[in-house]
Order: sequence, then C-alpha cells, then structure tokens
Amino acid sequence: MTNEQFANNEQFLNEQIEVVAIFRPGRTMCEPVRFRRTSGREITITEIGLRHPTSPGNRMVHMFDVTDGGADYRLEFDAERLTWRLTMEADRI
Amino acid sequence: MNQGYNLADPRVMHIDLNSCFATVEQQARPLLRGKPVAIVNRRTDHTMIITCSYEAKAMGVKLGMRLKDAKKLCPELIGLESDPPKYKYVYHQLMRIMQDYSAHVRMKSIDEGVIDFSESTQLLQSRSMADIGHEIKQRLWDEIGVAMNCNVGIATNRFLAKTAAGLHKPNGLDVITHENLREIYDGLDLEDLTGIASHNRARLESVGILTPLDFLDADEATLRKVVFKSVNGTYWHQRLRGWEVDKRDFPIKSAGRQFVLDGYKMPRAEVLKRLHHLCEETGAKVRSQGLVARGVSVHARSYSDEGRGWGGKYWHARSMSPTPFFSNQTIYEIAKKLFDDAPVFVKEIGVSCYELSEPDDSQLSLFGDQLAQERAVTGIIDTVNTRYGKRVIHSADTLSTNTGMKEKIPFGSTRYMD
Repeated sequence: MTNEQFANNEQFLNEQIEVVAIFRPGRTMCEPVRFRRTSGREITITEIGLRHPTSPGNRMVHMFDVTDGGADYRLEFDAERLTWRLTMEADRI
Repeated sequence: MNQGYNLADPRVMHIDLNSCFATVEQQARPLLRGKPVAIVNRRTDHTMIITCSYEAKAMGVKLGMRLKDAKKLCPELIGLESDPPKYKYVYHQLMRIMQDYSAHVRMKSIDEGVIDFSESTQLLQSRSMADIGHEIKQRLWDEIGVAMNCNVGIATNRFLAKTAAGLHKPNGLDVITHENLREIYDGLDLEDLTGIASHNRARLESVGILTPLDFLDADEATLRKVVFKSVNGTYWHQRLRGWEVDKRDFPIKSAGRQFVLDGYKMPRAEVLKRLHHLCEETGAKVRSQGLVARGVSVHARSYSDEGRGWGGKYWHARSMSPTPFFSNQTIYEIAKKLFDDAPVFVKEIGVSCYELSEPDDSQLSLFGDQLAQERAVTGIIDTVNTRYGKRVIHSADTLSTNTGMKEKIPFGSTRYMD
C-alpha cells in the first residue's frame, strides 16, 4: 500500500544529523532543541511529543518524536555510540 | 454469602487509557492531534484497524474494520502502523505512576490497570479517591504528555470500577457506590457489563432478564441454577452488588502467538517457515518465564468461500508429550507434525505451548546428556539474543521471515512484556 492510500506521508530515513540538546530535569530529561540536516537545513524544534527508549539488545536508543510546527520528525539518539539520526519525517497532512 | 449491597467506601480504582495506541501516536506527533487516526498492524489493503482516535470514532470508524472500508466512511482517515515500543513505554509509565500510590496494582492489559486502596496506608485512605483520580490524570499530562487522557472509575470492587471507567469516555471520572448503583444500571444495556456478550445475554434473556436492573434484582438461586448453571451465578450475584469476587491471579496456562499470513494462498513451504518463526517466539516466551511445556497446540484458519473474506474454517490440533520440553526445535518438530493435517490454503496460523510448569530436575532422565546439551545450547542462544537484540540468532529456515513478522502488541495479558 502506498503512502497516498495510507493517507500518511511518513518518509523513513536514516540520516546522521547534528543536534543541539539540553540535558536538564523534566519530562524528557534530554531536550533536542535544534538540528541540522546533511543538506545544511536547520530545524528548530517547537515541541517534543514523546521520548521513549528502545533496547536493541543491551544497547539503549532513545527515540524522540518532535515537531517544528510544519512537520513531525523522529530523532534517534544512540546512548552507546552517542550519535543522532533522523529516521522519519512527515509533513502536515 | 452477602445478599445486600456492599456499603463500604469505594477503594478500588480502575484506570483506562483512552483509545490508547491512537492517543499515544497523537501525543508523539503533535500534527496528528484533532485528526482521525487509525492504527493498523501492517500496510496492506485488507489490514484491520486495531484502534482509532475519538475523531475517527465520531466519523463511524470502528475497531476491526478494514482500513480500506473505513476510508470510505472517513476519507481523511490517517492510517499508521503500530509502534509497540512506544506503547510499552507508556504502559510502563502508567504502571510507575499507579505504583506510587499502592503496592496493590494489577495491570489488566497494555492500557488499563487497577489500584486496590483497601490495604493502603491511613494517610492515603484519608484522601478522597476522586482527588487521587484527578491527581493521576494530571500526572499523566505532566509526565507523559498533554494528549494523554484516561478514564478513572472508582467503586467497591473491580467489576464496578471498570464499569465506572466506561461511563464517560473520553477523560471521565466516575464513582459508583451503593447509593447510585441502581441509577447507573438503569442507564446501561446488558452488554455494557464486562463479561456479558451475546452468549450470556441470550442466557439471561431466556429467563426474562432483559436489563442490568433485572439482572441485579434476580435472586442468587436463579442465576446459579438456571442461568449460569454453576458457581458463576453466585459470583455474578455478588459482583453486581459491589462485592469483590475478581481479586484473583491466574497462573500462566499457555504462551503462544498467531499470525495472519502476508500472502494469498501461500505455498506450504512458506507457511512452515512462518510457523517455525512463531515456534521460536513461543519458545522464547516460555523460557523467559523460567518454564517448560508439555503440550503444543497449532491452529489455522482457511479461506472463506468468497476467498478474501474474514470468515473461513477454523482448524486446530494439539499434542501432549510425556516429558517436558523447552527448545524451539522441539516445539517446531511437534508443531510441524501436527500441521500435516492442516487445510491446504490457510490465511492465519498460530501456535501455543500449554501445560506450562517449573522445570523438575529431580527425576533422572534416560536422555540426561542430550537434555543437558539442549539446555546449554538454548541457554546460550537466549543469552546472545538478550544481549544483542531479539532474533540475532535464529534458525536459517526463518531468515526470510524477520521483516514481515515483527512483534506486535498483544491484547490481554501483559505478563510477557519486557
């Protein structure tokens, strides 16, 4: 089924990104506030929807579902390798 | 046996997340809030909706509907594939919040749980239950997110607390006591009561019990001897009056998984690969609880006459072994043999292990060495899979099934959830 039939414009990616994040007590403890894509485009995060951990084995990867108000994004922070990746982008429907 | 209503203060709280998976998705993706969203398990034409948002429900979309059909009712419906780790996280957060109030917390499924305050401290007992309910709602918003709503039901037993939680969806909070019990039942239908579906309804109607109030007024002997023909009649008589009869933990009796095949009229060799995959997951579930099994049961559903409908014949077979087993290979060998008699073309398959028990090493086995070897190999595979991720080591036979058969969220018991 295509995205169009699914009425869902998610694009799945695997793009290494540069992230500015604040680590402080709060709902998510770690707050990505801004990230730069490989194209050079910078995105300012306006809301973190949810942060949840996943464990591929004993490794810990934190998933951040965020938005800049125009599109939703998923950022993945690998706590072992200390890398950030952009894995999903979905424009406003 | 208690004949009258339970006059005690309500101390059982049922918490139910509203349209859980859809709400979690709307929490995670702010741009989906206020939009009709349906969650499905896979991206296919005939995929069924496992849950949907209140906006979708308002347009007539229902659980179990095919996404394709639902989109005719609601063209702007957004289909999303389920994301189990996200839901597991919210489940654990909900459980953590609930456990802050009492040690007597029982999760009934991934989106609902019960707190029993009857054995809580004096300090908690002195607080209003409704206040605690509102506080839990506030904590869900603060600690998970602003889109997370829940229903809270408070009563003297689990049954009435669940009934109360269903009265004002979404985001309700209701208390049922002996004082408003009749009024609440008056506004309900028989099938609104948890545990009463079409079969039990027919039983009740056969003796003239047409409404929950008729049910409440029925005498115990009629329910026990005529309607349910068992002690269940007595339990219902007590349950309806607010007495606790459901505070029981049932031992794990079986473990398994089922799968709707990802191809039409799939060749048997491909079906067996998927059966093998299910056997590996079933074996891991059994061993994760430190148990061994003695029985394997397999089932399949064949196509209905129309070919693509959801009807079709149900087939199943089971086998008991004289000795307990635990390895994936043994489970698959038994399941495969049983599957010889399955219909040629099937659209759904399932496997489960039953007669689960703690391993008993006190009895010497004639095949002791072989058993020890099997246990060592299985143990190492489980250790590697725990360290590096599920299914890092699996049989070569299931190499091609890894992507299409990823784990989904089970309904019902959450005891296998890590």
